[in-house]
Amino acid sequence: MSIADQALTDDLASRRDMIVCRGVKKWFDDFQALRGVDVTVKDREVMVVLGPSGSGKSTLIRCINRLEVHQEGDIIVDGVELTNDTRNIEKIRSEVGMVFQQFNLFPHLTVLDNITLAPIWVRKKPKAEAEAMAMQLLERVGIPEQASKFPGQLSGGQQQRVAIARSLAMEPKIMLFDEPTSALDPEMIAEVLDVMKDLARGGMTMMVVTHEMGFAREVADRLVFMESGDVVEVGTPEHFFTNPREERTKLFLSQIL
Amino acid sequence: MSETAVTSTPESRPPEEQRHSAGRWVKENLFSSISNSIQTVVFSAIILGLMRWILGQVFAEEADWTSVATNLRLLMSYNYPTDQFVRIWVSAAIVFLMIGLSLGAWRIDPGVSVRGAARTLISTGVLSLIIWLLLPEAAPGGISTALVIVGVGLIIVGAMVMQAVPHSRDRRLGFSAVLAIAVGVALAVIWLVPFGDYGVADGERYGTPGVSVASSTKVPWTIVLLGVLAFQAVGRALAPSVGAAVRRAIVAFWVVGPAFIIFLVLRDPAFDWAHVWSTDIPMAAAFALGGAGLLYVLGKPGREDLARAVGAMLVVFALFNWVAAFFGWYPMLQKARISFLLIALAVLLVPTFAGERAARIRFAAGWAGLMVVMHWLITGMNTESTLVIAAPPFLGGFVLTVGIAYYVMLVSFPLGVLLSLARTSKMPIFRVMSTTYIEVIRGVPLITVLFFFSIMLPLFLPKGMGISDLAAVFAGYTVFSAAYMAENIRGGLQSVRRGQYEAADALGLTTVQRTTLIVLPQALRVSIPNLVGQAIATFKETSLIAIVGGFDLLRIANSTIPNQPDFLGQKRPGLLFISVVYFVIAYTMSKSSQRLEARLQAGQAK
Repeated sequence: MSIADQALTDDLASRRDMIVCRGVKKWFDDFQALRGVDVTVKDREVMVVLGPSGSGKSTLIRCINRLEVHQEGDIIVDGVELTNDTRNIEKIRSEVGMVFQQFNLFPHLTVLDNITLAPIWVRKKPKAEAEAMAMQLLERVGIPEQASKFPGQLSGGQQQRVAIARSLAMEPKIMLFDEPTSALDPEMIAEVLDVMKDLARGGMTMMVVTHEMGFAREVADRLVFMESGDVVEVGTPEHFFTNPREERTKLFLSQIL
Repeated sequence: MSETAVTSTPESRPPEEQRHSAGRWVKENLFSSISNSIQTVVFSAIILGLMRWILGQVFAEEADWTSVATNLRLLMSYNYPTDQFVRIWVSAAIVFLMIGLSLGAWRIDPGVSVRGAARTLISTGVLSLIIWLLLPEAAPGGISTALVIVGVGLIIVGAMVMQAVPHSRDRRLGFSAVLAIAVGVALAVIWLVPFGDYGVADGERYGTPGVSVASSTKVPWTIVLLGVLAFQAVGRALAPSVGAAVRRAIVAFWVVGPAFIIFLVLRDPAFDWAHVWSTDIPMAAAFALGGAGLLYVLGKPGREDLARAVGAMLVVFALFNWVAAFFGWYPMLQKARISFLLIALAVLLVPTFAGERAARIRFAAGWAGLMVVMHWLITGMNTESTLVIAAPPFLGGFVLTVGIAYYVMLVSFPLGVLLSLARTSKMPIFRVMSTTYIEVIRGVPLITVLFFFSIMLPLFLPKGMGISDLAAVFAGYTVFSAAYMAENIRGGLQSVRRGQYEAADALGLTTVQRTTLIVLPQALRVSIPNLVGQAIATFKETSLIAIVGGFDLLRIANSTIPNQPDFLGQKRPGLLFISVVYFVIAYTMSKSSQRLEARLQAGQAK
């Protein structure tokens, strides 16, 4: 481990834990998707999760806001443990933003209504305030002129930026990204990644499942490599891209780079 | 950052649409090949033959159309007391004016171009001339002259418009203009066309052919039609500024309004207004305001124990009232007993809702609203004429058909939504109950359900409690319709993708919010064609209530009129007439649903 790496890990160690996964196990019927995952994401950290398809990386981040229910182990988000208590789950969900591969915008609502829906109904914000904030967010993701359109009228890249704005409108402490660029045409990937980089620079705690190695190298504080439901290796980008420890990591990186 | 801007240069525009002459269109579409020509000729012959046959039925010598003209009042509103007729007119006016207001507020504007309208005029004119050619000899001379005049007139006007407005200057006619023209034509028809004045007054039949209809019909219709025009203009004017609020109010009217109209139409003609002012209104006000105040005071945080104690005492008191009523110890109106029971339950709920001021105000206001609606309904409907309809029933005809259809749809729709949600729910008890209900009801013919409710249900009711035939039919039909509604909506629910649920969950919406804000709006959009199909079926199948004793349109046309001494055996005109009535309404519903779909689709632009 280089000196720069050491400095970074020391800095991280001093920060607050935002997401703690301890021995998380998850089965889909007989198939075990997670085999005891231990991961900790620190405050203001950007963690990128890598791995071949079927390695459980999407399942892991979907467990963090309980879109999937883990069967064993503990997940603690910002000090609140995920249990079956509905109130805990709703509290965590309102503080954890999530961006999906397929955008999942609400097709029957305008862009503006998509963004203001949760602030108005969950955070009980006055409509005018929520709309002002939504316009700011649209400004930030670069598409204020699309506010009154419907999602179906936007390009994929624009839709994904709206989806990010929709999550940010809840002023989340953590953002989860589940392959946010995988469903996009190549020329639209950059615009979404730009928004995400901007977010990372602003100090957002982020957990990102992606295959965008350029993004991982540039933005990530740490990378996690998963395979078959196990965490194989955790480290800084420099460590990963220059000198990975595990054979499986090397093999994966050689295939993807 | 806009990447959608694919600018089209003038050179890359698609070519102007090819304008065919009528002759060329006929050649390309009707006589493009030998087989196509044969089909055109054969099917034209069949269509013309059918038209000829229908005209033969209409103008058959033995068809006495005065049977329909004389009995129009019977067909429309059956034996409704003549001196109370203004109530039906007021109800009809309210409905029509609200339709006008809705059309304006939603800016419903079907695109009609000037040339399109002219084409319609010409084809209507051609149709009139075809009908004139096919007219049987028995038809009166006046009709054939009128058809020629109307046909030639329409063709000439249409052709003149086509000449005056070339393609390049074609423009859209605003809906307000179309509506104004339609109202104008309708007014001209009822004031000028000599339909004749037929009817029954004081048991005596009278008829004056060759004059326009009676002014007791003309004047209300004129007011209503002009009112529609005015309300449409008002709605349109309000749409940009306070549109959202007006639209919400209109939706509320369409949901709550029927309760007012049923009160207007159904209430006992000998309604005791003195009792209403001295007892009913003060009682409702006392329960609404007193209850709201109690709930507000007890809801303050820290008073949970007090609220529970008061609630328990109220429960004891409310239950004691029923015991007292059973033994006749002291008199108390039943609605007061119901209200006491409800306030007791509401107070017991207070600790759950206790909280900040706004929450308490909402809870108290909800209570007051519930009281007002409940007392209104009980007072309005709990009268003799509505619970036990005396023979002969005064409600029937078109009013009954439309009324039953609307109320059944209105009540079975929310039931259907709940049933479909229960059927797709994760909780097995709901799923099993709803599935059982739906499958049982769908496995039984409607007529069986109606018989069950009108004959069996009264046997299960406690002694002294009755249910009118009409209420029984309404309940049975609603129960039946809800099951089908549920299945139609379930189809829509299944079309909502899983990602939508996940996105709603990830934003922290509660299950109720997710269902009402995200899932149902999308599911209902998908279900519209099926729901409208069902609405049309519901409307038409109201004719089954004739079998359990109701006097609906069909029964009047099929058995009441043919049994009148003056019109013995006159079934044909009546049945033809009600077919047209059914068709016009069903077709309007179907057309509006197509427009609604197109509008929603344009909104989503998927």
